[in-house]
Amino acid sequence: MSAILLIAVPLLAAFISILFKKYAHYILVFVSFASVFALGYMDLGTITVGGFNAPFGIVLILDDYSLIALYIVNTLFFLVAILNCNEFKKVGSIMLVALAGLNGLLLTGDLFNLFVFLEVAGIAAYLITTTNKKPLASFNYLIQGTVGSSLYLLGLILLYAMFGTLNMADMASSIANSGYGAGVTAFPFLLMFIGFGVEAKLLPFNSWTKGILANSNRLTGPMIASVYAAAIGFVFGRLLTNVFVIEDTFLIIVTIILIFSVVAGEAMAYASTKVREILLYSSVAQAALVVVVFMSGFTGWAVYLIIGNAAAKLVLFLITNTATKQLGNDDVETFKGLFVNNKVIGLAFTAVTLSVIGLPMFLGFVTKMNILENMFVSGDYIWPAIILITSVVEGIYFIRLLLNLWYKENDLPEVKFEFVLKYVVVIIAVLIMVFGVYTEPVQDSADNLVAYSYIEGGNL
Amino acid sequence: MLQYAAIAMLMLGLYGLLTQRNIIKIIVSINILEIGLNLFIVSVGYVEGGIAPILTSDFNNNGLVFVDPLPSALVLTAIVIGVGTTALGLALAKNIYQKYGTFEIDEMGEE
Repeated sequence: MSAILLIAVPLLAAFISILFKKYAHYILVFVSFASVFALGYMDLGTITVGGFNAPFGIVLILDDYSLIALYIVNTLFFLVAILNCNEFKKVGSIMLVALAGLNGLLLTGDLFNLFVFLEVAGIAAYLITTTNKKPLASFNYLIQGTVGSSLYLLGLILLYAMFGTLNMADMASSIANSGYGAGVTAFPFLLMFIGFGVEAKLLPFNSWTKGILANSNRLTGPMIASVYAAAIGFVFGRLLTNVFVIEDTFLIIVTIILIFSVVAGEAMAYASTKVREILLYSSVAQAALVVVVFMSGFTGWAVYLIIGNAAAKLVLFLITNTATKQLGNDDVETFKGLFVNNKVIGLAFTAVTLSVIGLPMFLGFVTKMNILENMFVSGDYIWPAIILITSVVEGIYFIRLLLNLWYKENDLPEVKFEFVLKYVVVIIAVLIMVFGVYTEPVQDSADNLVAYSYIEGGNL
Repeated sequence: MLQYAAIAMLMLGLYGLLTQRNIIKIIVSINILEIGLNLFIVSVGYVEGGIAPILTSDFNNNGLVFVDPLPSALVLTAIVIGVGTTALGLALAKNIYQKYGTFEIDEMGEE
């Protein structure tokens, strides 16, 4: 089966669903399930679109890296879709466009095509966030997202003017063969980095995040913080490892941005008194951490960091937003004692949170441990120090949150979680624990991916 | 020369985005930014004295000087995307006006 169907079928279904508005949410669930299912039958390789060969035409690349990315994003998307299909029937068609955009982002091997899919996925995201009923926040997101992708396009055009190609692999080899120093490409790469930084929630460019995620509902929270964050993380990883030349001045600027993002993200999460704000600032810090790990060259572990974080944020935002809807607000005070009567949900929430902090027995620990180990081996001491210090801060605010949610004597909040949600949440928590203890497959696949993706991902 | 004009227009749009506090003016600013960007893209493909890269009975060999057709194709896509974003922005502006009764962000009393 050709991977292009992953983009074409959701798009076609989106147009069909406009004709049958009443059944849009059924079409959504069916198509998103079908795309997870179809991934098992995809042939790895390069797909040429329109009969023009590699550097001249658009190509889609399906290698190990993008296959993993597609599995993660499509599975998470399916879970979000099935949990919300009855409550948000109106956005069925838009979600289908979002699915096409996200799959396109992960598959494409062409820099301009990437911009187009970034905008398709972006416009779908702006529309999905309008279900928050906060039009000003959505407008803010729209403006920042558009400026970001315009900057990406400007950087891309500068590169095109310099090297005369738009294909990722061709661009990388042209840059390597041109003999220019890193200073020449630093400016276009910085523009592209900022453009992606807006979507990836890196700190100076992410003021939209608070408006969207702090007012999120059960659809937008998991969608933006988990599905979109994972997809953008994977695409950013491909650019960072295969296209960008990160040296000299550019390295210094990017490092400062990332240190600022990680430290300030954790600090703001520490200072927040609302559950959703804690989660959103923690995901800002995690997004920056993903970029750091990709930049250090540990592709496999960065992938596991994305997976762990996306799964965790799905669980955390689902539980928080379900409770917020029933309790009226998301202050930690209101949430006090939430898990006393909801022990199963509470255990899943706790397991996932401990994994994000990076305690032993959970997937997060395996990932963090290996990242730190690899960083020490490669002689980097600044980033391990920052990661360790911020992990302590993270531990403090998350455990403080957990204590608040578990202990209260009387006057407990009444929240009902439906059966499907419990099921999904518990399975994700169990998976995180299983792979935290049984680490061999994680270790093997992560180490192999480092070598493989770097060669195969760029090549045609 | 065209490139400097395009960059100036891009900067003008960015300036508008940073200084204006009115929803409609922000949308206009982002359009100016996008037009500046599109002009810049077209200018990248411009060749002095070049003609449109189309084979006709008047120009039927490859020895002529053509302008680069790719940036024009890219601009076409970028324009369509820009229109889509503007339409969505205006729809959101309508929602904002219905909710707050004003287009001035400072008068909305929210963040």
